[in-house]
Amino acid sequence: MKKQILTVLLMLIASASTFAQSGKQKKADKATEAWRYEIECAGVGTDGTYLIKVWSYSKKPSIAITQAKKNAVHGIIFKGFGGDGRGCSSQKPMTTNPNIEMEKMDFFEPFFEEGGKYMKFVSESTDGMVDASDRMKVGKEYKIGVIVSVSKDALRRDLEAAGIIRGLSSGF
Amino acid sequence: MRKITTKIFAILFILTVSLSHAQAKKPTIMVVPSDVWCNKNGYMMEFNNQGTKVKIPDYKRAFQENADLLTVISKINGLMAERGFPLKNMESAIKTLESESAENAMLTSKSGAGVVESPVDKLKKVAKADIIMQLTWTLNTAGPKKSVNFTLQGLDSYTDKEIATATGTGAPSFSAELPVLLEESALAHIDNFNVSLQKHFDDMFENGREIIIRVKKFDSWTGDLEKEYDGKELSSVIEDWMAANSVKGRFSTSDATENMILFEQVRIPLYDTTGKAIDARGFAKSLQEFLKKAPYTIPNKLTMKGLGQAVIVLGEK
Repeated sequence: MKKQILTVLLMLIASASTFAQSGKQKKADKATEAWRYEIECAGVGTDGTYLIKVWSYSKKPSIAITQAKKNAVHGIIFKGFGGDGRGCSSQKPMTTNPNIEMEKMDFFEPFFEEGGKYMKFVSESTDGMVDASDRMKVGKEYKIGVIVSVSKDALRRDLEAAGIIRGLSSGF
Repeated sequence: MRKITTKIFAILFILTVSLSHAQAKKPTIMVVPSDVWCNKNGYMMEFNNQGTKVKIPDYKRAFQENADLLTVISKINGLMAERGFPLKNMESAIKTLESESAENAMLTSKSGAGVVESPVDKLKKVAKADIIMQLTWTLNTAGPKKSVNFTLQGLDSYTDKEIATATGTGAPSFSAELPVLLEESALAHIDNFNVSLQKHFDDMFENGREIIIRVKKFDSWTGDLEKEYDGKELSSVIEDWMAANSVKGRFSTSDATENMILFEQVRIPLYDTTGKAIDARGFAKSLQEFLKKAPYTIPNKLTMKGLGQAVIVLGEK
């Protein structure tokens, strides 16, 4: 009897922690949708890539780190990023239509879902290590800066093939 | 009878399919070093034009002597080709022109006839593109530190408008060589340049291609643009035609005298009524036909420059 109670308790604790985790993930996704992240240039990437630092917010640092990848791709498509004035140049967003996210919701929802296609175009350049100065406690949550590399050429080709953005030679 | 009907339907179907997939005329783009860069690096030719010293860029010598120029242009060409928009190479264009001139000089028919080339034909034989990507860079040095100031301007060859731009100074470096700094600059700026170029193309697909049309007259013609037809001056007749045929009636008459009219910012459709892709010449051809017909019956000559400029000279062929 004791064993059964213990098993049930353990299961309850496990499911509660999973629920809390997914709740935090959902919160982080909502922050992405609400553009609650910052991107800055972190250097000139190799051919076909952008090297950027993404600042994400979450109560759990691990979620902020994983969300950084999603925010990076989201930002490059819709937001663009600023330069640092020391040789790093700012970049405009890939799409010129500010309403494209709403208009092409059928494409972007599965694209940005957990483990979605966006993962194909982004990688962490520091293997998940975050510099102490890039980990800040702001109120009840953390603001974490992660350097990621985004394969912008491959991302652009994918968006062009899906008809989300126009290629330079489309129509000619 | 049934066979003939089937054939007619098949032909009509093929025609419809081919017209529905008609593509607009693609502009050519070429990277050209700017006059400022050529002047700073000593690639200029100087000649005396009736007492005035005139300097013009010596592109051929720049391509033959400056390896850095080749590196940047090759990098930009490569990046643009990757974006699905291969560029015209200026160095190759210059070589093609030279070999074509030599071939024309040697070409004769079996009866000994040579190839005809008017002075205007000769004048038009220059390396050209519809859009010029004008490239400038300067090397900044502060002690051992080096950085590159890089500017890329997209200029429409016909309207003279700057349709795209990207400029900035690269990260200063103690060790990197100039070609590396230049390559980095090209990588850092090409995307912003392409975003503005894409905006220009989007605008073109939405509002039509922007061109320039000039109407002039030969001195042998007795009439002029003030000649009246049914109480209306010829210049007004042409303006009415422009308003009726340009996209949303968009054009501006920049200059008008009895001898010439200059139409700028003329927005023309990318396709004619049959679905065929047209450029400035195709558009001006319709005006040419209109002027040839009664009540005007004015013989005229049509010349063109690339996709975006056409000239109609009234009075003769």
